[in-house]
Amino acid sequence: MPTVVSVDPVTRLEGHLKIEVTVDYVNGVQQVVNAHAVGTMFRGLESILTNRNPQDAPDITQRICGVCPVSHGMASSMTLDKAANITVPENARIMRNLVLGSNFVQSHILHFYHLALQDFVEGPAMAPWQPSWHVDKRISGSDSQALVTHYVTALDMRRKAHEMGALFGGRLPHPPAFVPGGFTTTPRPERVTKFKAYIAELISFIDNTYLPDVALLEGYYGADYSQIGRGAGNLLAYGVFDLDQNGQTKLLKSGRAVNGTTAVQMLDVNAITEHVTYSWYDDRTNNLKPSAGATAPQYPKNSAYSWLKAPRYNGAPYEAGPLARMWVNGDYQYGISVMDRHHARAREAQKVAYALREWVAQLNTGGAVYRRYTTPGTATAFGLTEAPRGALGHWLRIANGKIANYQVVTPTCWNASPRDGSGKRGPIEEALIGTPVLDVTQPIEVLRVIHSFDPCLSCAVHVMRPAEGAKLFHLGHYRGAVQDSGQQRGRTRVSA
Amino acid sequence: MNISRRDFLRLCTASSATLALSSLDLLRLEQALANPNGPSVLWLQGSGCTGCSVSLLNRISGSAPTTVGDLLINTINLAYHPNLMATAGDSAVAVARQVHAAGNYILAVEGGIPTAFGGAPCWAWTENGVDVTFASAVTTLAGRAKAVLSIGTCAAWGGMSAAPPNPTGVKGVKAVIGKSTVNIAGCPPHPDWIVWGVAKAIAGTVGTLDSYGRPRALFGRTVHDQCPREEQDETSTYGQDRRCLKKLGCYGPVTRAMCATAQWNNRANWCVDANAQCIGCTEPSFPGAPLRFHAEFDD
Repeated sequence: MPTVVSVDPVTRLEGHLKIEVTVDYVNGVQQVVNAHAVGTMFRGLESILTNRNPQDAPDITQRICGVCPVSHGMASSMTLDKAANITVPENARIMRNLVLGSNFVQSHILHFYHLALQDFVEGPAMAPWQPSWHVDKRISGSDSQALVTHYVTALDMRRKAHEMGALFGGRLPHPPAFVPGGFTTTPRPERVTKFKAYIAELISFIDNTYLPDVALLEGYYGADYSQIGRGAGNLLAYGVFDLDQNGQTKLLKSGRAVNGTTAVQMLDVNAITEHVTYSWYDDRTNNLKPSAGATAPQYPKNSAYSWLKAPRYNGAPYEAGPLARMWVNGDYQYGISVMDRHHARAREAQKVAYALREWVAQLNTGGAVYRRYTTPGTATAFGLTEAPRGALGHWLRIANGKIANYQVVTPTCWNASPRDGSGKRGPIEEALIGTPVLDVTQPIEVLRVIHSFDPCLSCAVHVMRPAEGAKLFHLGHYRGAVQDSGQQRGRTRVSA
Repeated sequence: MNISRRDFLRLCTASSATLALSSLDLLRLEQALANPNGPSVLWLQGSGCTGCSVSLLNRISGSAPTTVGDLLINTINLAYHPNLMATAGDSAVAVARQVHAAGNYILAVEGGIPTAFGGAPCWAWTENGVDVTFASAVTTLAGRAKAVLSIGTCAAWGGMSAAPPNPTGVKGVKAVIGKSTVNIAGCPPHPDWIVWGVAKAIAGTVGTLDSYGRPRALFGRTVHDQCPREEQDETSTYGQDRRCLKKLGCYGPVTRAMCATAQWNNRANWCVDANAQCIGCTEPSFPGAPLRFHAEFDD
């Protein structure tokens, strides 16, 4: 008899996520046969942006997410630059990359050691490591001890990555230096010197600790977790780290790959739409492009179960993140799984760290950093970049010198999206299907799959904007959709 | 990596001058920490961005041992923290319930509390198959807390989450629980201010608060009062070192915070040294008004 397992809260990720999976025996193996991912918080940042001075956007949008604020600062600054049709000084381009890259390194280290590792390693007998789920912990005592020690070392390393970024960003999180027209900070020589010292230490950590630890994990879990958690199979990257003033070349290029093939195709931003068939929004807003995006809540609504919309490319679900970026760039094309995501993320941390070392040497210490920005009275523009956890896009319309509409499509919207108009699951939901579960009261395998995507729910669910008088109800009601389809009968329910 | 509780006390002693911890605070802190059943810390996240927690992770002080690793390992019992705790789901909720039943804990709240739509914009967790709103969880857990810390401007007064038109009716913690809170303001707060707040709360000596619930020790002076650029010529553009930023709309003159003296990220930098004006993130009004380029302040 199938068991419905609810995990709420899903911890060790940014934001609020609830996962409900149905577990049953298939060919004698207890495994996930259905999955629903539900974000359980929204803030309405887009309506907060409306009618504000467009130049407030970098400060406001950064506060969508304290883990990837720099990506929002980058996306909004790029969007505003394009709205005014200006290019920023070389120093500004480089410093933006230095701060964003520092946060990539910070976020990837944080993700592996502090968010994901406890799914595999038995920690010390104290909070926050205990209590924990004591299932399928394969790593030997001495290796576990080493990894826990590295957990503590990694706290210092991620802190130092933030200190490195703050040298130019002003502070982290929420750096104030991202402005349309360029950057506020001057690349003083002592800052360059300090940055070089930090990046040398971080490269050493990545080369000698982070990558070997991922390999160590692979040794224990690779046999099955290189197969588990494939998901949509389609990979999408907007590209990031402009290497010239117009962004024609990037460290990690844009593109997409279909169904795990190594052939990379061009990305056409006009092929992106957002489905709301299984989301609590009016079906008349279904399948809209972000540039014409609308958010009209509707509850109750048949079959709907999530506040996340479902972004799709030509109607298909795509995974975003380090694996997608490294795949599209030709740097990592081995497979799509839990372990592949950890590998690609670590290798990307290394690639970005090496690039940071080069870029900081390209700063012109006496050169301009800012070009005076005049807000256009009327404009539309968008900016595409990448957050540590995947593709990030901002879409802006300015009217009468103020923000008339601001739409954000985040990586976790792609990854944690609900089903789309044709009933296809979102990438995380799909990745969970077939995941073996030893103990339904401690479904550690489910956490491993979810965490491999590094979801960031504040990012994903900020887009909700209840219309005047709209009612928002108990998220638990989404289970009604399952009952309506007649699949609920005969199940036992377990909360893990 | 094993850091003793004594080391935490040394941290607090070393920081006591800048953080205004009195010897009485330290004595009480020592007593509290000597007790193996001393206060646990429950850290809840509501309508926010997790930036306060990320900032806490950046804790570093000149005198060792002073990192967040030290804090976690031997100084506090961080029983519940959504980003850091190993367990999930029911067993995570059970931890919060156990600590609640025992009482005498510190409740640290990050993020605001949505009150529109019956609290539905933020759920804390599911318990016995019932979804529990964040408002309900905070209200319940505040009831038996030794002290309630509002970590960050959202928890203190609503902050970014409550910015006009406040789409989800977000309020600060005090406004919802009807009980006084210690407001460690900032978007995000400096990690030292958060550690100070936790240490003070454990010591049981909540210092003098200003009319907005902020400790005077941390928020007694304006940024402008302490700003090394106070006497410098003014600039009206970015990228100009050693210039006062008032013409760019710096909120320093009306913002109470120690940024100029504490600086950020191990003294790597701070907003004004990055030539970016203060945007007033420790103030109850944040971020209602335009953040930059508004009319300059009169002295």
